[in-house]
Amino acid sequence: MRFSTRQAVPDSLTPDQEQLRAWLHRASQRDATAFRALYDATSPKLFGFALRILGKRELAEEALQDGFVAIWNGAGTYQGHLAAPMTWMTTIVRNKALDLLRRSGGDAEIDGHVYDSEVMNALQDPRANPIDALLVSRDAKALAYCMSTLEGMHRQVVGLAFFHDLSHSEVAQQMAIPIGTVKTWIRRSLERLKTCLAKGHQP
Amino acid sequence: MNIRDNPTLCDKLAAEYVLGTLKGGARRRFESLLRQDAALRRTTTEWQDRLMPMSEFSTSTQPRRQVWQSIERRLGLKRGYAAWQFWRNESLGFWRSLSAASLVLALLLVGVINSSLLDRPQVDYLATLTDDKARTALLLTGDRNRQLLTVRLVDHAPIASDKVLQLWAVPRDGVPRSLGLLPAQGVIELALTDAALGDDVAMLAVSLEPRGGSPSPDGPSGPILYKGNWVRVM
Repeated sequence: MRFSTRQAVPDSLTPDQEQLRAWLHRASQRDATAFRALYDATSPKLFGFALRILGKRELAEEALQDGFVAIWNGAGTYQGHLAAPMTWMTTIVRNKALDLLRRSGGDAEIDGHVYDSEVMNALQDPRANPIDALLVSRDAKALAYCMSTLEGMHRQVVGLAFFHDLSHSEVAQQMAIPIGTVKTWIRRSLERLKTCLAKGHQP
Repeated sequence: MNIRDNPTLCDKLAAEYVLGTLKGGARRRFESLLRQDAALRRTTTEWQDRLMPMSEFSTSTQPRRQVWQSIERRLGLKRGYAAWQFWRNESLGFWRSLSAASLVLALLLVGVINSSLLDRPQVDYLATLTDDKARTALLLTGDRNRQLLTVRLVDHAPIASDKVLQLWAVPRDGVPRSLGLLPAQGVIELALTDAALGDDVAMLAVSLEPRGGSPSPDGPSGPILYKGNWVRVM
């Protein structure tokens, strides 16, 4: 049996949840090495997300820093049986990013068109689009599939609200549609997503 | 409004809270309810699990190195070195502890290997990797001419089926380089090249890793189980 001396670095972009859970647990016991591993495995995804929310690299870096400081400090309070580790960490980084977004006075411009073309179109038909190339988890693929079953405008309303922390009226303004329509679309979309995800569809 | 007796409303509010469209006073009221109500917290967590994967729809982007350095600084994690840099954390005593006895034993082993086990190869490098109680777990011999590194698992603690042992070359500077994953028992031959095991390597180590090996590009992610000096003997 003969191996190559340089083992390929295993794909660290889609670490499994059990591994993340183990690192989080060790981080809660002040294991800096495990924390570093957790950072290496998840920071590209979380940074990409912060960048999507904030639009500016400096701000996204600040959000990522604030997020990981909070993750280290709060690792002991993470309840593994309640939330997936990536969900928990994403929520933290998202809150930090949204804090910064508010403090920067909504400085990060929402470019609806860029946003449409990059993400929403990819969701229209995840089977034909590069959603796989984004190296997303099974959960994200399932959600992408379910979002692809929504009508285009509904999908866009949900995406705008999520990524840019917009209120109903801000979404209405952005899309130039009545606020009542936004509320209805969001409510229906969320219901449909819940039902669709419960069926466990896979693209 | 008392929402607790209205599960449909709870679900709707939790969903919009996670999505972000619940704003202002309604959001603050919801947050204070969250603190008191475990069922509402569970409903909210379920919505987080549903919607947060949307974050992955943005393209992964590698943050700059400075970001980690700032985190490290803010948390005061930079005390000493990372766990895998054990040789930096240990006192001089560690180096002195490579006793005459173990060197004699090593040379004896070279003799044995040279004379019988490997059909007289030229063994010019050697390492015995020991656990924290100085028990020998692995014996490694290097043959520069044939560019062959032979790893013998002598005796080591059993490992879980979802774990694997990974062998590392630890250079004096920089991060450890993976030499490969090890089988649970027996002998394995790896290619011995200067790129992997050059003159800058003073030590070899074995870490316990998830199946597939360490996910970290900077070296081991799990504990170091065995280590030993990589010495030239011929």
